[in-house]
Amino acid sequence: MSPSTLRILIVGVGGQGVLSAARHIGQAALDHGLEARIGQIHGLSQRGGSVESTVVLGPGSTGFVSMGQADVLLALEPLEALRALARVHGETLALVNRATVIPFSQTLAGASYPSVDGLLGGLAGVAGRVYGLDATALASETGSPRSLNAAMLGTLCGLDCLPLAAAALRQSLAGAGRPAFHPMNLAAFDAGLATADQLEPTAPPTRQA
Amino acid sequence: MSTGETPGHPLLSAEAGRVELLLGNEAIVRGAIEAGVGFACGYPGTPSSEITDAFARLSPALGIPFEYSVNEKIALESAYGACLAGARAIVAMKHLGLLYAGDPLSTMPYMGTTAGLVIVSGGDPSCLTSPNEQDQRHLGDFLHLPVLDPPTPQAALYATRFAFELSEASHLPVILRPTTRLCHTSAPVTFGGLDSEGTPRPTGFQRDPARLLPLPQNARRLRVEIEQRLATARALIETSTLFSRQGPAQGPRAILAAGVPAATSADVLAARGLTDTTPLLTLAAVHPLPESWLLTQLKGLRELLVIEELSPFIEDNLRAICHLHGIDLHITGKRTGHLPIYHEYEPPLLEAAILNFLKLPSPSTTLQAPTSPLTASTPPAPNTPPPLGGAGGGDNPTLPCTDLKPHDLPVRPPILCAACPHRSTFFTVRSVFGPETLYFNDIGCYTLGVGEPLGTGDALLCMGAGLTLAAGVARTTGQKTVGFIGDSTFFHSGMPALLNTVRQGADTLTVILDNEVTAMTGFQESPSTPVAALVQAGRARSAADIEAIVRALGVDHIETVDPEDLPTALAAFRRARETTGPCVVIARRPCPVSEGRVISAGGVAPAPNAPDAKQASAPLAPQPVTFAISEDLCRTCGRESAGHRCHQETLVPFEGAMAHARSLEVIQSPACAPSQAESCDSCTPGTLPTHRGERPATAPCASLCPLHLCIQGYAAHIASGDHAQALELILDGLPLPDSVCRVCHKPCEDSCVRGDLDEPVAINALKRFVMDWAARQESFPLPAQSTRCEADHGRRVAVLGAGPAGLAAAHGLRRRGYSVDLYDARDQAGGLLRHGIPAYRLPPEVLDRDVERILEMGVRFHGGQRLGADLDLDTLLAESDGVLLALGAGEGRRLEFPSLWAEAPAGTTGPLIVDALTWLESSNDGQAPLAPGHVLVVGGGNSAIDSARTALRRGAASATLVCLEERDEMPAIAEEVTEAQAEGVVILHRRRVRGLLQGSVEIIGVAPEVVGDLRPANFTDTAGSDETLPAEQLILAVGQVPDGDLLGSADVRVNDMYLAIDAHTGATSRDRLFAAGDLTGGDGTVTGSIAAGLRAAWGLDQALRGEAAAAALPPPPIPPQPTAPPPGRPGVERGDRHGPPGKRRHGAELGGRERLSSFKEVVSTLTEEEARAEAARCMICGLCGNCRPCLDLFGCPAFFMSGPAIEIDPNLCVSCGVCAEFCPNEAIYPVFASEEGTDTAGHREGVTP
Repeated sequence: MSPSTLRILIVGVGGQGVLSAARHIGQAALDHGLEARIGQIHGLSQRGGSVESTVVLGPGSTGFVSMGQADVLLALEPLEALRALARVHGETLALVNRATVIPFSQTLAGASYPSVDGLLGGLAGVAGRVYGLDATALASETGSPRSLNAAMLGTLCGLDCLPLAAAALRQSLAGAGRPAFHPMNLAAFDAGLATADQLEPTAPPTRQA
Repeated sequence: MSTGETPGHPLLSAEAGRVELLLGNEAIVRGAIEAGVGFACGYPGTPSSEITDAFARLSPALGIPFEYSVNEKIALESAYGACLAGARAIVAMKHLGLLYAGDPLSTMPYMGTTAGLVIVSGGDPSCLTSPNEQDQRHLGDFLHLPVLDPPTPQAALYATRFAFELSEASHLPVILRPTTRLCHTSAPVTFGGLDSEGTPRPTGFQRDPARLLPLPQNARRLRVEIEQRLATARALIETSTLFSRQGPAQGPRAILAAGVPAATSADVLAARGLTDTTPLLTLAAVHPLPESWLLTQLKGLRELLVIEELSPFIEDNLRAICHLHGIDLHITGKRTGHLPIYHEYEPPLLEAAILNFLKLPSPSTTLQAPTSPLTASTPPAPNTPPPLGGAGGGDNPTLPCTDLKPHDLPVRPPILCAACPHRSTFFTVRSVFGPETLYFNDIGCYTLGVGEPLGTGDALLCMGAGLTLAAGVARTTGQKTVGFIGDSTFFHSGMPALLNTVRQGADTLTVILDNEVTAMTGFQESPSTPVAALVQAGRARSAADIEAIVRALGVDHIETVDPEDLPTALAAFRRARETTGPCVVIARRPCPVSEGRVISAGGVAPAPNAPDAKQASAPLAPQPVTFAISEDLCRTCGRESAGHRCHQETLVPFEGAMAHARSLEVIQSPACAPSQAESCDSCTPGTLPTHRGERPATAPCASLCPLHLCIQGYAAHIASGDHAQALELILDGLPLPDSVCRVCHKPCEDSCVRGDLDEPVAINALKRFVMDWAARQESFPLPAQSTRCEADHGRRVAVLGAGPAGLAAAHGLRRRGYSVDLYDARDQAGGLLRHGIPAYRLPPEVLDRDVERILEMGVRFHGGQRLGADLDLDTLLAESDGVLLALGAGEGRRLEFPSLWAEAPAGTTGPLIVDALTWLESSNDGQAPLAPGHVLVVGGGNSAIDSARTALRRGAASATLVCLEERDEMPAIAEEVTEAQAEGVVILHRRRVRGLLQGSVEIIGVAPEVVGDLRPANFTDTAGSDETLPAEQLILAVGQVPDGDLLGSADVRVNDMYLAIDAHTGATSRDRLFAAGDLTGGDGTVTGSIAAGLRAAWGLDQALRGEAAAAALPPPPIPPQPTAPPPGRPGVERGDRHGPPGKRRHGAELGGRERLSSFKEVVSTLTEEEARAEAARCMICGLCGNCRPCLDLFGCPAFFMSGPAIEIDPNLCVSCGVCAEFCPNEAIYPVFASEEGTDTAGHREGVTP
């Protein structure tokens, strides 16, 4: 809410690592002298439902990211990115994983998944910059799709939108969770980081008269 | 806070001033640790679960007792025991749990505390993870308890430490009420020191009967003492730091906020730059209120905005205080309509309310506060948080460049995990109890069974209520109900519920879903968690024996099943269905998610010896890494391979696939049951059986149906009540359904697999049910697909003969886009159906429906046109593109008899002789004379039976039938024979007519030379067996032959007495001349003639337009000769494993007197109820091209659609293999990781591990 506050909204599907991505950012910030608050609402959402977490960096008391307040949107799934549309504003930087997780309700209804380009385009019509990449594939190449969140954190870091150095996030990644997963997560983070400068923002849609 | 191993866990740090990122819940734990807590317990429940989870992890290092109590009431009582024994105690639960613990809670203030007792009760405004929101602050006022309501994690730490002091000073338990937003927000928290030296060590229990025995005389006194305790609490709160003021010391307007909204308000003021100009009073203690401090703060104020979530608890108290002290203060809040009385307050709402209060312009993006939330009947939008599935905002504009609207985005609700054993349980129970049964669910992961596709929740109330609701409904309606409950919930409150059910004798099935863990709240242990899993956590105890408990509660019928062993589970649920009174099935399989990870909270390791049937039986056997779907088998059927396309647009309905599930036991060879896989050569021991019942592509019934009808398909639709879909399937393959459903010879029923179990499905009666249903509809529901004709292509054909074959050929050619002229010698179409079948079997008005349907398609009928007289074949061939002959066989065969009466006196005669067709036709034209005395019929076919039954209706004194065949050799439809006998027809088998006498007939016994050969020449007379029967009328029903003159003039090749054709195409020896039906010596059945007509239509089309065009509408294949047992029949076991045999349903029949006095239809149609029950007996023996029970009934999230194909996501599949067990098409197979690391598929042919 104050100019020094950065509001990050992380969305995805239960099981993708939304909550831990938020914790990595928050812990890295705290370790480097920044105030950080993390909000999460979960319950049954771990069962494959929509899930979101917020990180608010800077002074304050709460962890809300309300409508039009997300300075950064990190979407681990494209449909969930568009679901967060009302939370972004004209200057928002959005990083969206292009790999889809088809909602089972869609499968059941025999409905098709919306076009990912359409989803990103729709988002680009509202947000400032929208970057899409297949971070699931990236994470799979470096080890496991379970490192999706680490790969996306790497790219987000490379897009220079966080007041955090890559080293701070690496340190946070190396300090949490099962040690056996740390090398895999760090490799995915580095791969994501290296991808950042090759990304081009998604063009906003041409408005029809 | 980073999570790590218990030693050196940050929450245990002695370092004051240390800063950690802590959840609100973790801050509470740290506060308790700093306060030297000596006992911790609770029952998990969002949002409070992380508190008990942390204590579960840390209690060994802290050296304090911890327990996941069985329920909240017990948790509170345990903690109170510890408190009375002198240990500071903390107990955590969600808001619902505290009301469950209301009984002990209400008396504790009377008895008071010894050491500090802090009750954490997580609140949940906006019902984020709860069925209701409630304001627990009222418990403070209601039960005389201090209540603290901290806004931030840091404040939560302080509040918790203070709560222990407050409890000890006031001798009252203290409620700490964090809300979800606080519990689940992480923020930097600065630690205090561990000042455990200053806290009392457990002193032991001190006897104090005047306080601890709240008998009435004590209770009255203690009630008075409570007021003193509250006064003490108030005084201590006044000296605390649980309230603060920011902003200017003076001002006309101030804001007072409590709990999380206080933090939100501070942030809103900061964001608007109002912090320094607007006084903000923050309260973290809400009962008793710090009245002195408040009076000081309110001095000089003119207006106050009170911000608190849910009820106006503080607002009302402040009004009372102001009134009492004569303070003139305008208080704005919920009562004035400026803030809603429900749901969580998010920043935009508070921003609008604060700016409005401060008379500052509202930002354009903020929303207006509701006008009157106290009286509003509908929730105002502003305070509704954007649901997970919605993006918020009032309107729903289309996004630029997409068709998507944010509100219309596909929702993504939570769903049971792939491989969740609960899914198998729900699937199995639904399959046995069907969609009509009422299901009552309960609180846990398995609550997710309530929605489609599992559909097992008609009501859901609270912990333990599933059983009692089920019992209450069952006792009221008399219908058996099903109640579900998880293991943890069963121990929580299900045990008394079950006892009550038993005591009342309610007819209800209780299904205990025992996954041996409290999964939903984070995999906490449950009393049924195996002991081995708890040893590592240092909490080795005995695992509760659910069976023993259930038995002790008085349940007689108890079964335990592995829900992933579908056949066994199905059998158990069937037995439960047949049991009257309370019964229990325990569906036990460990939660695979908790098995695959360290059980989060307590450091509970995966159980090394967790009961897992598959692993236990063969721990070294290869396990599939995933399952995959064979494209060849998935959604294909034998009819499709014969060229038929399934036009069904709806899915195979629930009941259909359920019928398959019901038949699993029957179809699946017992040799391949998982427990016996070792004895099966094709299966790998210890793995899922891969060698199955070899389901035929086409069910035996459809294979032997001359029309290849998808019988299992329409049976499934009827069972589910979708009769229109059934009609579509029937009409698609059958041009004369109204007639055929009455007169078919039903080879399908002879081959019905169900017949091996009890009785064949009444397939034709089902078909008739659909047709009669359709006729009753106001507008006949003609499905578009089945009567859609190809566009006219200008070719013209003539069909001669409007009997079954001709009508079918005309129908087939019309659908193929031909211009069709249909000729018949008689005035009306129908041929043998009209003239050769009595009205009591096929009423003419029913036949008219069939004929009209075909004529409505555009077929032109020309009656009274006889070939040879009115029509000339050469001319027809010259004038049209093709001709199809379906003239039937109208000439009755004759028998030569010695005319014994010739020597009789002049003026006397022998019996009148007539052929059956003539007899039946004269009977059907309505002007038949009475039959003259005794009638004797010769023949064993349907015409013979029809003739005899007709004779009785025409007043014959008797009707006797003489035939060469024994009863089971007779070509006549068996049911018709039975009917005839019931009406009084006498049948004499193995006899023939030897001669005719004066008014009588001489017959003689015969014997076959070769058994099974029914040709007359095979029979020889048995000497001395002759007898004489009276007969005034002799009817010859020994078959018909075509008109020989006609054939002779047609310039076609003749075979015996019949027109020679190619059996597949109906082609004759002449170009463009095709033929079908009895003229060609067909099988003599109506249905066979129809099939032949359709084949000839296809053959003619092929000749005229080519193979490709004709292939669009493939003809029915020629069915194989029935053999015993029919081909492709799966092995069937008899026995009572499948429950009592189900009798097939029959339509009601006319009484004997009524039927013989008229030609009214004898058998009436099935009722809706009968038809659906009968259809449900179908076992769906063939594959289905349209099925997706994996998606629509089982609903495993590992499945997805890739274009038209169903696929399994190997990243989500955890190889439980249940889908492969029930897949009707047996298309799902296990994939093994081979030694080389490549996947090896184990197809149904066998496994290559």
